[in-house]
Amino acid sequence: MGVVLRYLIKKSKFLKLLCQNALERNKQEPSQDGPNTLTNLSQSLKTNLDLIKGVIGNNYDVVIREFTFDRQRQVNAALIYLSGMTDPTIINESILKPLMFESRLSINSAPKLDDVEMIRTTMLSVGEVNKSVNIDEILDSCLSGSTILLVNNCHEALMIMTADWKSRSVDEPKTESVVRGPREGFIESLLTNTTLLRRKIKNSDLTIESMKIGQRTKTSVSIAYIKGLANPLLIEEIKRRLNDIKTDSILESGYIEQFVEDAPFSIFSTVANTEKPDSAAAKILEGRVAILIDGTPFVLTVPMLLIESFQCSEDYYSRPYFVSFIRMIRYLAYAISIFAPATYVALTTFHQELIPTPLLFSMAAAQEGVPFPALVEAMGMGVVFEILREAGVRLPRPVGQAVSIVGALVIGQSAVTAGLIGAPMVIVVALTAVASFVVPAQTDSGGILRILFVILAGFSGGFGIMIGFIGLLIHLTSLRSFGTPYLSPLAPLSVSDLKDSFIRAPLWAMIARPRTIGWHDPKRQEFRLKPSPPLEEDTQSK
Amino acid sequence: MRLERGEISSSQLMFLISCFIQGGLFPLSFAYSISKHDTWLALIAAFIIGVFIVLIYIALASKFPGKNIIEINDLIYGPYFGKLVSLQYIYFFIISLSGYLWFIGDFVLTFIMPETPIIVIMTMFTFICAWAVRKGIEVIARISVIFVFIPGIIILLTFALLLKNMEFTNFLPVFEIPLEDFIQSTNIIMHISVCEVLVFLMVIPYMNKPKQAKRSVLLGIISGGLILLTGTIRNIAALGPLSEIVTSPSLLAVSLINIGKIISRLEVLVSMAQILLLFIITSVFYYAAVLSVAQITKMRSYLPVVIPIGIIGISLSLISYDSRMQFSYSTMYITPILSMHIYIVIPLISLIVAKLRKLPQRNGRN
Amino acid sequence: MKGLIKIIVTPLIIIILTLGTTGCWNRRELPALGIVMGVGIDKAEGTDKLEITTQIIKTSELKSSTPEEGGAGSSSSGGGAYWNVKNSGESMFSTIRGFTHRTSRKLYFPHNQIIIFGQSLAKQGIQEYLDFLLRDQETRLEVLMLVAEDKSSDILSVKSHLEKIPSVGVSDLMDSQAANSQTIVIRLNQFVTRIMSPTTAPIAPIISIKGKADNKELEVSGTAVFKRDKLIGQMNKEETRGLLWVINEVKSGIIDIECPDQEGTVSLEIINAKSKITSEIINNKPYIKIDVKEEGNIGDQSCTASLVSPDAVAALEEKKNEAIKDEIESALSKAKKLNADVFGFGEVIHKKHPKEWEEMKDDWDKIFPDLEVEILVKAKLRRSGNLGPPAAPPEKE
Repeated sequence: MGVVLRYLIKKSKFLKLLCQNALERNKQEPSQDGPNTLTNLSQSLKTNLDLIKGVIGNNYDVVIREFTFDRQRQVNAALIYLSGMTDPTIINESILKPLMFESRLSINSAPKLDDVEMIRTTMLSVGEVNKSVNIDEILDSCLSGSTILLVNNCHEALMIMTADWKSRSVDEPKTESVVRGPREGFIESLLTNTTLLRRKIKNSDLTIESMKIGQRTKTSVSIAYIKGLANPLLIEEIKRRLNDIKTDSILESGYIEQFVEDAPFSIFSTVANTEKPDSAAAKILEGRVAILIDGTPFVLTVPMLLIESFQCSEDYYSRPYFVSFIRMIRYLAYAISIFAPATYVALTTFHQELIPTPLLFSMAAAQEGVPFPALVEAMGMGVVFEILREAGVRLPRPVGQAVSIVGALVIGQSAVTAGLIGAPMVIVVALTAVASFVVPAQTDSGGILRILFVILAGFSGGFGIMIGFIGLLIHLTSLRSFGTPYLSPLAPLSVSDLKDSFIRAPLWAMIARPRTIGWHDPKRQEFRLKPSPPLEEDTQSK
Repeated sequence: MRLERGEISSSQLMFLISCFIQGGLFPLSFAYSISKHDTWLALIAAFIIGVFIVLIYIALASKFPGKNIIEINDLIYGPYFGKLVSLQYIYFFIISLSGYLWFIGDFVLTFIMPETPIIVIMTMFTFICAWAVRKGIEVIARISVIFVFIPGIIILLTFALLLKNMEFTNFLPVFEIPLEDFIQSTNIIMHISVCEVLVFLMVIPYMNKPKQAKRSVLLGIISGGLILLTGTIRNIAALGPLSEIVTSPSLLAVSLINIGKIISRLEVLVSMAQILLLFIITSVFYYAAVLSVAQITKMRSYLPVVIPIGIIGISLSLISYDSRMQFSYSTMYITPILSMHIYIVIPLISLIVAKLRKLPQRNGRN
Repeated sequence: MKGLIKIIVTPLIIIILTLGTTGCWNRRELPALGIVMGVGIDKAEGTDKLEITTQIIKTSELKSSTPEEGGAGSSSSGGGAYWNVKNSGESMFSTIRGFTHRTSRKLYFPHNQIIIFGQSLAKQGIQEYLDFLLRDQETRLEVLMLVAEDKSSDILSVKSHLEKIPSVGVSDLMDSQAANSQTIVIRLNQFVTRIMSPTTAPIAPIISIKGKADNKELEVSGTAVFKRDKLIGQMNKEETRGLLWVINEVKSGIIDIECPDQEGTVSLEIINAKSKITSEIINNKPYIKIDVKEEGNIGDQSCTASLVSPDAVAALEEKKNEAIKDEIESALSKAKKLNADVFGFGEVIHKKHPKEWEEMKDDWDKIFPDLEVEILVKAKLRRSGNLGPPAAPPEKE
């Protein structure tokens, strides 16, 4: 055992070193053998064009349009852009047309148009135009959709913001669907997503800072928070962790999540994600920080508490009584999804005395002749269920339904009639399966815990479950998400925050923000917001 | 260079102590056979006397804020004699740890899994406690916040459900037992529940508001004591004279609940609550033992001694106790007398010496 | 790195510990259990040995068989969903363990419903047999205690017409006794509490077999009275209810009384009853006072007079008082005759007058037969059902 362990440790240390070396080499490479990079533009258009062509010229979507303008002096210029990522209308109407056509009309004024600053200020009717001499910067902006204007005899280039590409329109998200509440969801475009947030919070304090992560993908990542509400130390910490990510690619928010989370080995995720602008906005308004990543509709919010998994944006739009009831149901469902198979195994193999007698009769009758021990049954059924679920998720929808029918009817029903599995076990597994979908944010942790508890229950019964439960609590209480205790309103106990945990108090009663997150500016609203009928009418009716 | 970097709040200390006291419900069964149906009176007496003793501990702790008992001993008795006193405390922590480990093993063996070797149960339990101890007092205190409500609710619920079976004439005649039995029983209860609060002298220094220690400790003792009293009254009222002979009155009393043949066999709830509470108690003793050993040996971190102390605890309990009969005999007749020295004599002497030496001096490094 | 070790190694250690070292001690799959539903304890005929009959359910036949099915041609081993198996031995525990020689499954007691003692064994004393039932982890305290009129094994083999398992039939039978309150229903913990008391006499219901051959039925026929742990006598149904009045166990029942001023009877249903025993010491002599408060309805009348006038009601209440008092007195005289304090008077005095009790407790057997008991009954009539006057032709006078 020990030997194996030591070997594992050594092996992983070696791997770590290997990775470090590779990273360092990557960092050094561009400066060593890339003569094109880090150089500035020269005066000559031709040299510049050659330079750029040398880097990206053999791509078929790169368009290099050379032209001349200013009839008097015949200035040579070139536009470079990527055809799929730019808006041709802007290029034609707002760049080429003013330069090539309107410059002839304004012959009288005869400005000296080879000065890019002059072009920028007088000729281009495009919103965002930047200047740069650095070829790296120019290429980066070209690759993110800008049009580059190079003018002969100028060592500066203009980067004209023309980015526009086909993206999905804002529509209803597939996850977190609600009956009542906004239907819009985040999409893959970062700009649209920040817009969606801004539309929810029209406040000058809403700050959206941007950075690029990923040495190769250069993915735009924004963090959004409300200045004065979010804890400045938290923002610093997030920025530090984001800046520390030195990887070559960020393709989804999951990449970021795994690089910044506090407990990378925990089965519980300490970073929340949402696809809905309203819930992201609500979290920002509680003092959290949102991390938006270009190319994914899933927005991360930190810090995350465990109870967030049991909250849903619709909870705050519906009336409190039913919501409180549903909250309880969610906790119950999560408990069932973790403990039900384990409890069943413990009861049938260790603690038969705890089953009420009439129930024992039916369970014993059902279990009679079943060849497998309950532990094997539970594990087997659990695995079968996971297989069915995975098949259902991955397959195209019509086939997926067929799979579930085959799974439910053929495997469940026939296994029972064939006497391979006891009917109660099928019921328990089915109940567990349904319950595990009630809390989507914790489905993955629930699945692992379920198996662990079944094993514990199978070998040491109720005592094993208790030991596992205590272990789970030790783990949960020691977890932190960006400094915030994970079990926050419960342990450490904060009575006022319990208003939005197991129950959901009316909105007018939730005066303060969650203590562990929004303590920087705790007051959410005024006291005495409880609605009541106007007093005047009262007196009139009397 | 504090060994413990975590901090606990005053409410967490209160919940921790409340859990700690509530956990005495099962060990309390030793007292039933001596004080019979007057156990509840002995309980009240023990708590009243116990609170005064606990006030000594708090006085000691508040004289030296931010110092645990090992450091306090060094200050009061000087570095050498102080170590000698501290060693007694360490001995007490480890002995209590081993006692509780044996108790949990015995409990599981008697009521849940009679054929399992005790060492397996103890190892599993020690393992989970060691995990908590490694995470520090902060985690133990936070867990206690979650645990404190579970046993309380279970006891109140079972009390309500057992009302039908209760016979309140079982308490009559009040105060029937001889006075010496009553005193003995009171001493046992003090020994197994209130006075063990001594161990919190290792915890109180890590509060974020040391001034509120007294309030938290007393509130914790009172709330835990009330739950304990409810449980005791439930057991005596429901079982009557049977409570004097059975090994676990709580379990048997609750097993009588039978409502509509479906709400029955609720003793599983009681044993669950008991395991949770024993976990808290054992962890606190474990933590105190580990921290004091690390303190006295001037270690920079207590983590390296966690596993060794656990192994010592298990071995000690296997060596010390042979059987349930011997365990209960020693808990009833031997340890309550012997441990008075640790519970009362040493803290009292410490307090007096500190007063005489006019400690703590308000100069120098303090 | 440290985290990786913790996360991977921790569960690994737990699993290896539990898997490798535990080897699943207390694991018993459901199909490996012989679930015991009833236990009968007898004296083996002709010897001093103990004979224990256990009723085990056949789980495989639970679903299919109905109570009637498989009745024909089966002897004590029984058809249906149960199996009665006998074993004899010296001590309780060794005899019960001895069943492993005969049954393929380990006997499992937590769901045991009834314990029946045979008459002859009960006369010898049963304390030694109770110890196992209390000490073992598997047995439970709420099990019902019964005494068979003859042999307990015969009782267990009488099929229930409504339930699949005879023991369940007996336990349901005991539940339904509350409607008449003429049988004491006693559980193991109550029985033991009485045995532990120095004075109170334990009691248990007597169950007997009526009918012959295929038409056997079980009937609860009275109360067995123990002195210490030995059976010394019985009380009949009326005396039993007298006893129940005193110990506050009457739930419901019917009291028949004569019609006032007319031939015929009126049946009064007991709806609510409460009693209280108080003790008094006068001149060093204990006195017991029993207060019974009862409420009831008119359930049935065979006479034609209208009984709803205030006078008639008062008369009925008076008669009911007398009837209840008679029942209590008959129980009292029987108890005094047997010199068994079934009512727990001794405990009442002990609790109220602990000092005087110290002198009395050793001579309680002498005091009890001459104990003066005052019975106060306050019976009330509350309602008369759907009818006021009876459905009878108006009286011609």
